[in-house]
Amino acid sequence: MFKNILVPTDGSARSQRAVRRALQLAKEQKARVSALWVGPVWQPTLYAYDESVPAGFISPRRFATGVRKIAARQLGAVRKAAAAAGVSCKTVSVQGPFPHMEIIRMARRNRCDLIVMASHGRRGISRLLLGSQTALVLAYARIPVMVCR
Amino acid sequence: MFRNILVPTDGSALSRKAARQAVQFAKEQKARVTGLYVAPPYKPGTLEDAPMLNFVSPRQHEARMSATARKHLKAIETAAAAAGVRCETLHTLSDFPYDEIVRTARRRKCDLVYMASHGRRGISRLLLGSQTSKVLAHSMIPVIVCR
Repeated sequence: MFKNILVPTDGSARSQRAVRRALQLAKEQKARVSALWVGPVWQPTLYAYDESVPAGFISPRRFATGVRKIAARQLGAVRKAAAAAGVSCKTVSVQGPFPHMEIIRMARRNRCDLIVMASHGRRGISRLLLGSQTALVLAYARIPVMVCR
Repeated sequence: MFRNILVPTDGSALSRKAARQAVQFAKEQKARVTGLYVAPPYKPGTLEDAPMLNFVSPRQHEARMSATARKHLKAIETAAAAAGVRCETLHTLSDFPYDEIVRTARRRKCDLVYMASHGRRGISRLLLGSQTSKVLAHSMIPVIVCR
């Protein structure tokens, strides 16, 4: 029934659990998995009053390297788990200010038929609340979404 | 991976679609399906409601609700029977459908809830239904939200 499962991950413990569930489900459904990691975009520091470089300043290039490193680590873990489970898996990392839009876009472009994601990742403060990105994905998705706890 | 899938329905078109998908999914997962319909409980009319005009006795109310529940749950049962999926259905009376859904999931040891993004009260496709978002908030097990 599900042939192409999209798993957005932010590397949090909950989302790692969602990834494991998705891989297990993909194995049973003989589906393939697309794992997606959305990173932040570089933003210039706004408070450079004088010519000096403000504290905590990161150059775009260093920022990009850092983001790439995190993406590689987190998607690498997914790829390894998929290989162990014998599931065909493709991993994509993108950068964007609105992760939910990247998730929806990826689902549409890849013709995914299910999104498996955690109820909240790094920003859910309480188990009673849905994470912001999860709520937004639920609002905009055209395909079924499996929300894992 | 999933053994017992809870399928709450309110009889709306979208929830019928979710039920069909759930049965198909249960077939592939070799799971069984638990259908649930939650009806509003009996409320005696107040005096301002002109009680004699449309008075419903508790017994009448229960009979009506059972009939509605049977109608909506029948759809799940026939779909499950056609797919060869084991199925049981139940209905309860409650003011808070999401609470019944979460509670039934726990009591019946379900491991997945398969429900529509909104049923009869979702006004727009951009909004999640009230009961769906509450189930998502309170459920201890994964929920598949179907559009």
